[in-house]
Amino acid sequence: MARLEKGAAALRARSGELAWRAAPFLSVALLIAAWEGVSASGAVTAFMLPGPARVFGRVWAEAVSGDLWINVGLTLYRALAGFAIAALAGVALGFAMARNRLAHWFFDPIISAGFPMPKIAFLPIVILWLGLFDVSKIVMVSLDAVFPVVTATLVGIAGVERELLWSARNMGAKEREVLWQIVLPAALPQIMTGLQVALPIALIVAVVTEMVMGGYGLGAATMTAWRFANSAGVFAGIVEIAAVGFVVVKGMAMLRRRLLLWHPEALEPSTV
Amino acid sequence: MAQIVVERVRHTYRPPRGKPVLALDDISLEVREREFLALLGPSGCGKSTLLYLIGGFLPVEGGRIAVDGRPVAGPGPDRGIVFQHFALFPWKTVRGNVLYGLERQSMPRAEREKRAQDFIDLVGLTGFEDSFPSHLSGGMKQRAAIARTLAFDPKILLMDEPFGALDAQTRHLMQSELLGIWQRTPKTVIFVTHDVQEAVYLADRVAVMSARPGHIKAVVDTRFDKNESNIFRAKHFVDKVDELWGLVREEAIKAQGSAAQATNGAGGESS
Amino acid sequence: MSSALIRYAPLGLLAIAWELIARLGLVSSSALPPLSKVVVSWFGLLQSGELVTNGVASLYRGSAGLLLAVVIGAALGIVMAWWRPVNALVSPLVEMFYPMPKSALIPVTAVWLGFGDGSKILLIFLGCMLPVTLGAFNGARASDRMLVWSARSMGASRPRMLWDVVVPSALPEMLNGIRTAIALAFILLVSSELIVARQGLGYLIGYLGADGAYAPMFAVVLTVAFLGFAADRLYMQVVRRVLAWRD
Repeated sequence: MARLEKGAAALRARSGELAWRAAPFLSVALLIAAWEGVSASGAVTAFMLPGPARVFGRVWAEAVSGDLWINVGLTLYRALAGFAIAALAGVALGFAMARNRLAHWFFDPIISAGFPMPKIAFLPIVILWLGLFDVSKIVMVSLDAVFPVVTATLVGIAGVERELLWSARNMGAKEREVLWQIVLPAALPQIMTGLQVALPIALIVAVVTEMVMGGYGLGAATMTAWRFANSAGVFAGIVEIAAVGFVVVKGMAMLRRRLLLWHPEALEPSTV
Repeated sequence: MAQIVVERVRHTYRPPRGKPVLALDDISLEVREREFLALLGPSGCGKSTLLYLIGGFLPVEGGRIAVDGRPVAGPGPDRGIVFQHFALFPWKTVRGNVLYGLERQSMPRAEREKRAQDFIDLVGLTGFEDSFPSHLSGGMKQRAAIARTLAFDPKILLMDEPFGALDAQTRHLMQSELLGIWQRTPKTVIFVTHDVQEAVYLADRVAVMSARPGHIKAVVDTRFDKNESNIFRAKHFVDKVDELWGLVREEAIKAQGSAAQATNGAGGESS
Repeated sequence: MSSALIRYAPLGLLAIAWELIARLGLVSSSALPPLSKVVVSWFGLLQSGELVTNGVASLYRGSAGLLLAVVIGAALGIVMAWWRPVNALVSPLVEMFYPMPKSALIPVTAVWLGFGDGSKILLIFLGCMLPVTLGAFNGARASDRMLVWSARSMGASRPRMLWDVVVPSALPEMLNGIRTAIALAFILLVSSELIVARQGLGYLIGYLGADGAYAPMFAVVLTVAFLGFAADRLYMQVVRRVLAWRD
């Protein structure tokens, strides 16, 4: 009798677990079904809300023709180039500020005041100075992405326990060695967090600069579709940009897990 | 000749925000070569501060500290330190941590690796060489920290309440293991603790510190055979503990009083 | 007060450097008009009314969109934290849309609502809702279980508990999410006004730039930048007060 109960409980637990696992797919399926429902019902015009079939069909067509890959490649190139510059410059600046009081005094208000500013407002100035090509886009991306990196680096360095530094010196490490061998790895988790904040920013800014300036890329292509009143193209653009964003962010999260295998956080399950 | 000489040292703790606090005032102490000295005192009395000064992590402002006749000028591998919260490098494995000190000394690679392995075995962590600190229990982390410090063979061992973060059972285990290691490979040890029994068990002499500002109140001889079975219950052991507890208790009460005042002023450091 | 002066002094130095570089002709005066000229243009724009008209339009759009995002986003986040089925269903969607560059919504909101206020408000609402939801969700989840249980044992009903216990302890994370939302709102506002608008500060910047009126353009750019900075600082002051009152 007890065996039966145990079996039933296990079954319930199993199906419960299965339900949780299935939930993401269920949500997406429901979303697409609702989308199809609304567009097919005629409550809104086909222009306002093209159905999923048309939108995904358009994505497919772009993939086949090669346009999708060119656009994705260009947007990624601009975003990642700007991100790389911001990452290197940001970490370097963070270290410089942590070690040099003059550097800290000079850059602190710039970083602190600049962080909440919508730096995209400076795009017309950047265009004025650097022209209408990729350089401007990449510079704009770097400008926006550098702030969270610097801030995170500063926090990371400040958070290094002094006992770690003392232990290293105790074992005969010279100051240079302490910096590269102790401070940098110890600050890495926080720096990675800053990079994880900077990357989506890089993508947002890359897309916006393309929308403003043109010159191919996902943002530019979406704007072109809009100008030609091709709403399926506009929606396809959203799907494509969202997909790129999703892949990039997931990639970064995986990279973080790899680099920080040793961190206690690796033992905990991740949250949204 | 004493190996470590602390002569009329004064130290002020300056927090980034708040008033400076006199942590040590005119404190003097001598430590003989290869003796095990315990520094006993209530929280906030400055015993860790004294340890850090001897270790060269904090600068000596007033008075002098000399090791083997030479004034202390900074940290170095002759005075190995073990911290209460282990201070293991979390991104390195146990082996990586132990090797760090050895890599700073000119030693052929094979010899380094062997030596590291020997000390990992000595502290009972065989099989965990490639584990990261985050996967180890508190007791295992402390063993790794001890192995790391012993590996580069410092003449002097500075231990800052190394078992304070461990549960009572692990603590007892580690105490007898440490005693065993020290008896086999004697070094000069300065061991900071607030646990009277631990001090009497491990040390040859126990220096009792006063409440802040700290100076040495008394030094009590505790050298006798610690390997006796049931040593913790032996009469002479218990008597020593009582004697020291009496000395410490006064200071602990004083420390409580000034702690209540301190919460209105500067933050104050602990021990 | 003086510590604030010392802290922000480098900005003053930069301003002086700017003026000198421009005056000394080190850079062409169209690329970098002197700061003094920019300041004069700023007053000119103020007088002509252009700054105020466009400024009001922008601020209206931003505030409306942000308000909607905060109210609905926070409610959604707390509901998600409180009822598991809602969480299970909505969570995957949040996770999916969070990494999406919100700027992708600019063309589509323009498709739906054209060039005017509506499209911007919708854009900001949709884009900024996510950080608020996430903040509220994480904050509510972290709600001290002890507090919840003791409230329950004292006979508090579920809605009461929500209000008395969950919302206050969710506050810090939620307020942080709102801070992110404010910064994002500015970005989306300026971006959309640069691309699909006939009014607003972003539009004004683009229009002045296209006209070659660089000094006024710089003036508006600095105004927008300052507004973003000021909004953040003001918000943090409010947060400080709210959290102090809560304790």
